[in-house]
Amino acid sequence: MKLTEAWRLSRIPYREVVYRSLAEEKGRMWWGAFGRGHFDKEGKSDFELTDRVFRIAKFDKLIVAMFCVISSAMPFTSLFYGSTVIGLTSSISLSLSVTFGFTALYAIQTLSSFVSAESSALLFTLPLSKDDFSKITLFSFIRSVDYMVVGAIVSQVILVAYLTMSPLATLLMFVASVMNAVFAVTVALWFSRLFYRNLTRGGRSKSGTVLRLVFIIMWGSLLLGVGLLLSIPWYIVPRLEAALLSFSQLSSLFLIIIYPFSAGIAIANLVYHTAEFSAVLTASVAMIGYVMLSGVAGKWCLETVKRVSQGAGIKASRVANQDFSIRTRNPFFGYVMKDLKISSRNPATAFFFALPVLETLIVSLLTTNYQMLRVSAILVATTTGGVFSLLMPLALLNAEGPGLEYTKTLPVNAKRIMTSKTLISTAAYIPVPLTMLAMSSMKQMTSTLAILIPFLTILAIASASIFEIKLFLGSAGNGKIAAVARDAGKLAVGVMTALIPQIVYAALYLISFDHVTAILGVSGAAITELAIALYLLKHS
Amino acid sequence: MDKTFPSPNMPLIETSGLSKQFGSVQALADLNLQVMPGEIYGLLGPNGAGKTTSIKIITGLIEPTSGWVKVAGFDPVKNPIEAKSRIGYVAENPILYESLSPREFLEFVASMRRIDQSMANQRVTQLADAFDMGQYFDSPIATLSMGMKQKVALVASLVHQPPILLLDEPLNGLDAKSSRIAKDLVSLHAKRGGAVLFSTHIMEVAEHVCTRIGIIHKGEVIAEGTLDQLRSKTGGKSGTLEEVLLKLTNEETQVADATRMLGEAIFR
Repeated sequence: MKLTEAWRLSRIPYREVVYRSLAEEKGRMWWGAFGRGHFDKEGKSDFELTDRVFRIAKFDKLIVAMFCVISSAMPFTSLFYGSTVIGLTSSISLSLSVTFGFTALYAIQTLSSFVSAESSALLFTLPLSKDDFSKITLFSFIRSVDYMVVGAIVSQVILVAYLTMSPLATLLMFVASVMNAVFAVTVALWFSRLFYRNLTRGGRSKSGTVLRLVFIIMWGSLLLGVGLLLSIPWYIVPRLEAALLSFSQLSSLFLIIIYPFSAGIAIANLVYHTAEFSAVLTASVAMIGYVMLSGVAGKWCLETVKRVSQGAGIKASRVANQDFSIRTRNPFFGYVMKDLKISSRNPATAFFFALPVLETLIVSLLTTNYQMLRVSAILVATTTGGVFSLLMPLALLNAEGPGLEYTKTLPVNAKRIMTSKTLISTAAYIPVPLTMLAMSSMKQMTSTLAILIPFLTILAIASASIFEIKLFLGSAGNGKIAAVARDAGKLAVGVMTALIPQIVYAALYLISFDHVTAILGVSGAAITELAIALYLLKHS
Repeated sequence: MDKTFPSPNMPLIETSGLSKQFGSVQALADLNLQVMPGEIYGLLGPNGAGKTTSIKIITGLIEPTSGWVKVAGFDPVKNPIEAKSRIGYVAENPILYESLSPREFLEFVASMRRIDQSMANQRVTQLADAFDMGQYFDSPIATLSMGMKQKVALVASLVHQPPILLLDEPLNGLDAKSSRIAKDLVSLHAKRGGAVLFSTHIMEVAEHVCTRIGIIHKGEVIAEGTLDQLRSKTGGKSGTLEEVLLKLTNEETQVADATRMLGEAIFR
């Protein structure tokens, strides 16, 4: 079979993977989530749904690729204001890290469907040779990450070529970028296999449950890592540069050996020759080692893809069991437990459980730089935490997937669905006020009353969750293709609800210069919002 | 039975003038049905005749364009909780929570239906054991075959011992043993005073299981009665249900033409 024909045919399993990732059990995450219009209650929009899934996937890929290109270019921006060898080293290192994180993250979103090996099932019935299957599956795999990988490599190579004007440095940057993509895809494929294997294993054993939890944390950590790389590069860069300036220290030797710093040092010193010879030599040797390692990783990827194409995906294991006992719960907690289980097992929504950690970390970072805990810092930290929490209702609704149709046949009303999801999203916000409380005990505050703001915001988060869920549930079954902007609008309603008490605080304080009046205003706003939300909930 | 019936002489399922329009397609037109306690009503018809739409409307999954439904005396649109707590439903393609295991799924269903812990355990144990669910009771539903998923859906529909069973192709993918158990359970359910609305494409099953049959075609019930009554409507005293169905839906000639044409085209 010609490669062009294999590339053309690879569209079939690729589309299947995309469909499974976005429309079936994997829920609809990222931008796809915002475009979800639910299943048409009149059952006539199957084609529309499929079409929309592919449009979302393409949009998704483009957006992520653009984001990836911008993020990979961002660390180089400081060099345009005065290039130094240390600046170039840290820029290359950070750029490679960010690209690695993004590629791995995006690939994980789709590859768990790929490793289930069912995506190629349709092709098995056709008279194709094993080699042709391998080619087709490999290409369908490449299609998952093509835009972002190519985009990142091109942007990094062009930037290094422009900044160094050195063909050798450019060539080395190209090698490092390709190697980076291979590592990212390998990690994603490995994670996907691990997650899928663990998911299909099932079982009631405690070790199985703990393993699943560990994988969720790993998933969350990966995303958290990307979040950190994006949100605090300006914290990392100065520390990295300080470490690189003192090559004699043990920590610097560690940085020289560790990928991607070794790549950064090797490339930057090709042009500037300012680092010690021993450091450059060590980095170069490490770089050669990484190139060899990427060869091994690439080979493993190819073999795994080949195994998948030949139907050797991970099969579910069965455990003989004669214990059929079940544990019933109060309907409300039964629904909460179900929500927690389905969302934590969905690779696309599992990382939302890392939100409390992320929130806590961001809140801490936002406040550590201040000698005194100012009200403005509390307001910013509360807002950041609140916005993160308000992604939770959407994730929980997405995780329902087609199973929601079964729930509709049960004696469950919308109120229960809304209350369950509200409880979970409000609980996700709780680390924010607790972190602020901990911070307030360590620092002086401009107003001790201000610590009440994040706690009163709990009410606003609960109200915002109710509004958001009601809006999203309200759109279910109306048969319209929900547009990105419209769904983002629903999220905006939630965010605005969470922000109103803080706006009230700021406005009242600016008028009265009295914290007590402002806090009373916050309380009034939060309680009013909650009263409206509860009224809506009651009449759902 | 967990839920009391409005009256033993009242139909457990009743529809009147039920219609459903999907855009320009009339999926259901003036459907009038009554299923009494102790009856197994078979809803038969060609693909796209409106069987699944009828069952989904009765379940409360979709709303009718016009007409009304009563389930044990309750309107599924106006009193969904009351109606749904009296229904056990198996969908044509069981759509369940794929990441849950059968145990977790049944825990969820039993919790939503407020079934007492010991009662739920007893019923689930008996049903799961009968359907040989031991091998996959803790495996995610996503990894199960269609037949296995169907068993999970069947157990979930029976766990609260509802007075009404709405079964849309419930034997899809089931092995011989499980299929037999399911049919026996349906018969037992009817003998105990429950009502069953049973949709199937397997004529032999309908012939042996259903006490009354409704032939639905292009959204309308075109004939209703016992097998003998249906036979008499076609002007004969013998013939299988399949023959009767094809005659009533005027598809007998189409089948003969298609077979002749395909025979000439493919097996020349």
